[in-house]
Amino acid sequence: MAVEENSFLLTTVDALVNWSRANSLWPLAFGTSCCAIEMMMASTAARHDIARFGAEVVRPSPRQADLLIVAGTIVKRMASRLKRLYEQMPEPRYVMATGSCTIAGGPFYYNSYTTVRGIDEIIPVDVFVPGCPPRPEGLFYGLLVLQRMIKEGESVAQPGVRRKPVMAALPPAMTLKDIQKEIAALLVERSEVKTRGVSPNRIWEERA
Amino acid sequence: MIEVGSLKARMESTPGGLKTEEYFVNMGPQHPSTHGVLRLVLKMDGETVREVIPVLGYIHRSIEKIAEHLNGRQIVHLTDRMDYLSSAMNNWAVSLAVEEALQIELNPRIETIRTIVAELERIQSHLLWWGVLGIDLGAVTTFFYGFRDREMITDILEETTGARLTLNYIQPGGLMFDIHPHFVKRVKEVLAHLKIKICEYETLLSENVILQNRLRNVGILTSEKAISMGSTGPVLRGSGVALDLRKQKPYGVYGSVEFDVPVGSVGDSWDRYWVRVEEIRQSMRIIEQLIDNIPEGKFMVMKPAKKLTLPKKSYFGQVETARGILGVYIQGCEKEEPHRVHFRSPNFNNLWVITQIAPGGKMADLVATLSTLDLVIPDIDR
Repeated sequence: MAVEENSFLLTTVDALVNWSRANSLWPLAFGTSCCAIEMMMASTAARHDIARFGAEVVRPSPRQADLLIVAGTIVKRMASRLKRLYEQMPEPRYVMATGSCTIAGGPFYYNSYTTVRGIDEIIPVDVFVPGCPPRPEGLFYGLLVLQRMIKEGESVAQPGVRRKPVMAALPPAMTLKDIQKEIAALLVERSEVKTRGVSPNRIWEERA
Repeated sequence: MIEVGSLKARMESTPGGLKTEEYFVNMGPQHPSTHGVLRLVLKMDGETVREVIPVLGYIHRSIEKIAEHLNGRQIVHLTDRMDYLSSAMNNWAVSLAVEEALQIELNPRIETIRTIVAELERIQSHLLWWGVLGIDLGAVTTFFYGFRDREMITDILEETTGARLTLNYIQPGGLMFDIHPHFVKRVKEVLAHLKIKICEYETLLSENVILQNRLRNVGILTSEKAISMGSTGPVLRGSGVALDLRKQKPYGVYGSVEFDVPVGSVGDSWDRYWVRVEEIRQSMRIIEQLIDNIPEGKFMVMKPAKKLTLPKKSYFGQVETARGILGVYIQGCEKEEPHRVHFRSPNFNNLWVITQIAPGGKMADLVATLSTLDLVIPDIDR
């Protein structure tokens, strides 16, 4: 018996699978510089506890991890290692890029001969967390956004197809008007994006 | 890297007995106990380390080259990202060099606040090191305690500077902002809290038999070797050399405050541990002397100018960071951008100590030794 793409059975299975995936993200800590300290602070240290979101088991090995948290600048020499770590992770795998270095090179954007300007040149990214370095709360917000993406986005019918990357916070130094405009645009965009049958980002498809 | 021929020849020349084979292990670049992306190639014989070869460049961000395109004031924020655990001191080193070039006289308020912020930064750096040392040796509790108290200090710094880690606070000619109205009160609270807690930590970790066995007589660095390798900071002081720039060549208001320089005797990992814990106490002592009488005055004495041109000379500013002596060399060329900027980072020299002290020890001792060297990798590669 063929199961239709949007049948009740599949959607129920989707919801269950995505719910369990979203709430048991085991991160692979890939800290290279300053952001790693804030990630340590967020994940296991005294004040904050990432276990509230089901992501407490920080693994140094890619084979046991679902979520790659890239914390810190990636330079050209490290790029191949990062790609290999990503490829070693079992599917489904998610990538969270924390800090402005991983987003676009950050303070090392201009005149640097080594920095990779954004890790999405190497591996596909699900969530960007801005900040230099982002606060632990920012990291949590990024994780929540990722969880929401997982819960809504992926379908058993189309495994591996996800929504396009999300910036987990609004950029700084914006006026109130900008923010309102941004939120309005986001709301419109969200309302149009359907959970099923969403057309995946073209760049995403090429990279993945 | 592996010379198969020479290894074979050496094995065949071993007279009789059980033959062992040396092998290579890659530690890093993604390894939890190298504190970042340091890669060590280890030549092992069973569990014994025969040779350590550090391989660098995995976080080389070409800061020196970027700095050649920026003026003296703009370099400061890059130094935050070098040794991010003592960012205030890094900023200070650049500021000293630029102030030397422009011949700026600072008022006592700026000097005092700089000293207090730098010492707070030193305390939080050592607390983080203390917590992570525990985790490296298998004690998770210290991690929670170290980070809890460190967080109190980051809160103070955040209130005043707006950043938790990369402060960008000490600028050429003064400070970025004036201190927060709650600064003095909060610092006093933290000092009162830490004074009790440090004693607690001593009973928790320092007097632990396992820790003592792991650290004592492990990774012995003699004072001659320490000097010849150019190591500085607690690594050098643990080997019995009382070199501390704050005493020898006082900057800020270190000349007018009382503090001791803790010095080890044997030069093993335990001495380096003890020196750092003692340094927390001395930093608290320095802050206590300064916090009650911060002089009045401006927090920035340099006039805001569009261009900042350095005369055609070379300038050198050096400070004692939490890890050793950081030197900043700037060569001006009558243009806005300097001709050359070079950082003499403490971690680079402290890292190469490992090639001298680890061979002959066990693999587990290498981790303990690495941890007591307290390396920050972006400062090595820059």
